[in-house]
Amino acid sequence: MNASAWQMLLEGAWTTVWISAVSIAIGVLAGLVIALIRLARIPIVDQLLVLYISVARATPLVTLALFIFLSAPDLGLDFNRSVAGILALTLNTTAFNAEIWRSAFRNFSREQREAAMATGMTPWITFRRIMLPQMVITSLPGLINEMSFLIKGSPAIAVIGIVDLTRVTNRISAVTYEPLPPILVAGALYMMVIGCLIWLQRIFERRANRLAM
Amino acid sequence: MSEANTSETAAVSIRHLSKSFDDVEVLRDVELEVKTGEVVTIIGSSGSGKSTLLRCINWLEKPDRGSIHIAGQRIGVHDDGRAMPVRELAKVRAKTGMVFQGFNLWPHLNVLHNVTEAPIHVQGKSKREAEALAKALLDKVGMSHKHDSYPNTLSGGQKQRVAIARALAMQPTVMLFDEPTSALDPELVGEVLAVIKDLSAEGYTMVMVTHEMAFARAVSDQVVFLEKGLIIERADPETFFTTPKTDRVRKFLENHDTPSPA
Amino acid sequence: MSNWEILWQARDEFLIGFWRTLEIFGLSIAGAFLIGCGLLYLLEGSRKRLTMPLRIFIDAMRMLPFLILVYLLYYGLPSVGIRLDAWWTGVGALAVYHGTYFAEIFRSNRLTFPPGQIEAAKAHGFTKSKMFFRLILPQVIMQTRPLLGNQLIYALKDTAFLVIITVRELTAVANSLSSTYFIPTEAFIVVIGFYWALSVAMEIIIKQCGRFSAKRGFDNV
Repeated sequence: MNASAWQMLLEGAWTTVWISAVSIAIGVLAGLVIALIRLARIPIVDQLLVLYISVARATPLVTLALFIFLSAPDLGLDFNRSVAGILALTLNTTAFNAEIWRSAFRNFSREQREAAMATGMTPWITFRRIMLPQMVITSLPGLINEMSFLIKGSPAIAVIGIVDLTRVTNRISAVTYEPLPPILVAGALYMMVIGCLIWLQRIFERRANRLAM
Repeated sequence: MSEANTSETAAVSIRHLSKSFDDVEVLRDVELEVKTGEVVTIIGSSGSGKSTLLRCINWLEKPDRGSIHIAGQRIGVHDDGRAMPVRELAKVRAKTGMVFQGFNLWPHLNVLHNVTEAPIHVQGKSKREAEALAKALLDKVGMSHKHDSYPNTLSGGQKQRVAIARALAMQPTVMLFDEPTSALDPELVGEVLAVIKDLSAEGYTMVMVTHEMAFARAVSDQVVFLEKGLIIERADPETFFTTPKTDRVRKFLENHDTPSPA
Repeated sequence: MSNWEILWQARDEFLIGFWRTLEIFGLSIAGAFLIGCGLLYLLEGSRKRLTMPLRIFIDAMRMLPFLILVYLLYYGLPSVGIRLDAWWTGVGALAVYHGTYFAEIFRSNRLTFPPGQIEAAKAHGFTKSKMFFRLILPQVIMQTRPLLGNQLIYALKDTAFLVIITVRELTAVANSLSSTYFIPTEAFIVVIGFYWALSVAMEIIIKQCGRFSAKRGFDNV
């Protein structure tokens, strides 16, 4: 692989990283918001959210990305590729994150909440100061695991023409006629990123276990 | 108007309190008045409704009927029957401090921050002011050497002493103790009881549910016996433990270690 | 003619795509299951020299995007002289990839076994392979059922990646129909509905199996 091949590869890696990072950030927050809305058990809204989560979890990312990109003009929307890609990844990861947040809520200790109320905390202060900090700690291993899944699924956005770390290997081999080296390097880069996430996940698992004692 | 008057002077005033869980009546027309500086112990067998009574006082349980005033202020509902908005309820609740059987410390905060959390975020105290108060209180319960420890590194007795400091930090009108030593290993009971005894000597108003008869006899001004949600006997500790009026209490005391005056 | 009527006339193509996806899915998870069991057997076995490379292989697969493996097999293998068609590449990649996930699920469950059980079996004179097939494997499979179920749904979703190497499966059908008739929204709604129905059906079947293993005292959910 020559210098320009390496540069293309790094550009592809950058595309994968920033699109994944944006989707992860939005997905973690949106998942929390959906989990909170679901706690309120508003009729119809709740059923719609359950339907969304169930469908989004069952839909392949490739299919979702194509669906969003191809049918956006039908719905009068004009997305560029990156926005469509981010939307697909976000819609997918949000559904999983919402379930992670929700189970952190449901498993939160009633006794601790009572202790907070007994000191005169309002439900909002109790949520912000007592529940949320602990829910973040208990949810982080699950959320990080979901981040690895998102990155492993991110090559799906290649299907709508985004040149990410996977797709760029095609471009390089079209010039060099040597497909194997760029694919191997791309694989190694993915393993580095996901390896880091797995390592982080272990650290946070330990922290979460300490909290549960 | 006489009712309003007594409510003003009493730290806690409970009138006609009733509560059912499903079809079981756990509290039946309970009346109780706790004067400022008084220590009231609630005794009864398990399922008698004593914990529920205590948890009604700070509205962790909602009674079906009756009223509760804390330092003259009604908790939970307004006199016209309107439910209290959560912020207002929280304000009245802050006048009570509760110590739970299971300690219920917040595991993500260290000892010092467990104590300063509510003064800072409920009363709006400055960090410095709250920490000065917290340090004094942790000193009082003998935990000043553990400011930076996290709850999971403490023994049960230490956790409960921190929980007591946490409740005291809100400078409540009345302290509520819900079986504070029931979850402790026997050898750790003493250190917690000693702290509570100190508080009673300092004139804190306290309502306590406990199984420690000797302790109840030593610290109480008033002992209340609850049976199936009904107060069947109330007296000063001397009378209660030496000459109970009802057979039920006599039987109960026989089954527990009859305490000698401490 | 409305868009939905166009779709109805193209129903055969949908069904073919649906059938292809089912075929790929069925074959590859059967393969993945065998690979998972095989890896567990090898990890269980006495050849200690194999353990380390196997663990590295399993962990590597779990850190790799599925599509990279597909690229490796489809574009990379020809340069070492092995050429597979798109369809078999897809089935093979799915089987190997999810096989390692199965193996990892089995392995972590195997770690929770009380040692007494194995010692009792040894004391009764079970041979190694008999112990594996009659004792270890059945228990591992019963106990990991919910996790295996999740993995099946991931495997189903990964079949859609194969559209990128031109396999004519369900998503490919939606893609080509939408470009032929300009009805992407409807075409994809139908296809997503197919995936969803399959996932829900699998979830229900897994729950039903749960009742069976609960009866045998295996359910830990």
